[in-house]
Amino acid sequence: MKKLFKLLMVSMLILGLSFAAIGCGSDDTAKTDDNADKQEAKALVVGTDAAYAPFEYQEDGKITGFDIELLAAIAAEEGLEVEFTNMDFGGLIPALQTGSIDVLISAMTITEDRAKEVTFSDSYFRVEGQAVVVKEGFAVEKLEDLEGKKVGVQMSTTGHILAEDIKDAKIEAFPTTPDAMMSLANGSIDAVMADSPVVAKWIENNPDSGLVVIESIKFDAEEYGMAVAKDNTELIEKINSGLAKVKANGKYDELYKKYFEQ
Amino acid sequence: MNFEWNWDVVRYSIPSLLEGTGVTIQLTSISVIIGTVIGLFVALARLSSFKPISWLAAAYIDFLRGTPLLVQIMIIHFGVPMLSKGTFFEYVPIPFISAVVALSINSGAYVAEIFRAGIQSIDKGQMEASKALGMNYYQSMRYVILPQAFKISIPPLGNEFIALLKDSSLVLVIGLQDLMTSGKLINGFKFRPFEIYLTVAFIYLILTKSISLFVDYMERRLKTSDNR
Repeated sequence: MKKLFKLLMVSMLILGLSFAAIGCGSDDTAKTDDNADKQEAKALVVGTDAAYAPFEYQEDGKITGFDIELLAAIAAEEGLEVEFTNMDFGGLIPALQTGSIDVLISAMTITEDRAKEVTFSDSYFRVEGQAVVVKEGFAVEKLEDLEGKKVGVQMSTTGHILAEDIKDAKIEAFPTTPDAMMSLANGSIDAVMADSPVVAKWIENNPDSGLVVIESIKFDAEEYGMAVAKDNTELIEKINSGLAKVKANGKYDELYKKYFEQ
Repeated sequence: MNFEWNWDVVRYSIPSLLEGTGVTIQLTSISVIIGTVIGLFVALARLSSFKPISWLAAAYIDFLRGTPLLVQIMIIHFGVPMLSKGTFFEYVPIPFISAVVALSINSGAYVAEIFRAGIQSIDKGQMEASKALGMNYYQSMRYVILPQAFKISIPPLGNEFIALLKDSSLVLVIGLQDLMTSGKLINGFKFRPFEIYLTVAFIYLILTKSISLFVDYMERRLKTSDNR
């Protein structure tokens, strides 16, 4: 029994060490691949929070949406390769800062605070602003009617920032906007504050939810921008030029029609 | 190294983090109490010679231990309301309630196994002796076996409660503002993950250390009867 135990310990140790060795091995091969890649165009890693139809969402295992196709078109114009990766919205800006992604596109509103941390591209989309969504029959006409109510938002979005200004509102912050919408449909909260095209799309995709947008409450229009790390002026210039080209050659209008005009 | 520790962010976060800590403490303590009660009954059921009860308890333990706590929280908060909609048992989800339910039943499964191990470790002679004295099964359990089993279970129970405290951070996904969620929210506005999350970790450390100090105290108090 003792011998068996010793044998077991030793084999686990060897197994553990060999995993570590394999791990180290693949890092080396990745490094040499990178060097080879630098000669060709290195694929840009794009971060996005893919739970935001119609801007970015997952379909059949692939990330797609207005933002995704737009950036792919821009990249094609500028001769860049892009690779999309899904991540939590709140983690996008830190990921840019640490360099784990090269650019983000995630229906992110250009704000002063955010602009201090990253460099935004030119605006690529104008939204009529936030929308307040409630369950059908819940009487809300103006923003003040939400005082003291439970308001759901997505963490760290402009909707979240605006909702914080509502007096005595109990804010419930969710990782994604669909989570907040689901909670509203379940009756757990009284209202949701999020970008208008996204909630409109959610309601369209979930007609049985019984949710309605309160048309009488309007917010300031917001502009979406792509972003890169603060000092990456080269990349942002390429993105801006690509965006201008895509707008000029009609591809932008084509995508807009596809996603927003049925 | 370009990094400079930013104390302002820490100062800014503390009030909000402390509020979140209050929620975490409330959540964990209530779940600990309910979980212990559930665990005791499930353990006794598991040890029962009545096969159906024993089987049910085993199934409960398997499911709650065998699925991620995160999944359990999601099922209770998002799934059950949809299922129960329109029925008599309709559950309109409240984050705190969903969280307590999920944490309690999850913890109950682990505590059940801890108690079972504790009970089974008691010498068979104890049960025989108490029966010989004329006590029935329930009396022997209540006055002889369980007190001893409980004392043995204290270290693993302390472990489980520390784990529960840390697991409570998962309520992030249902919009409940506990310590971890508060940290994440601040990070969404201030973009200084290192300072913010290190502070969050430090507060968790203070909480878990308090639990382990309390467990040590309990052990020492109960050890006084060990002098033979």
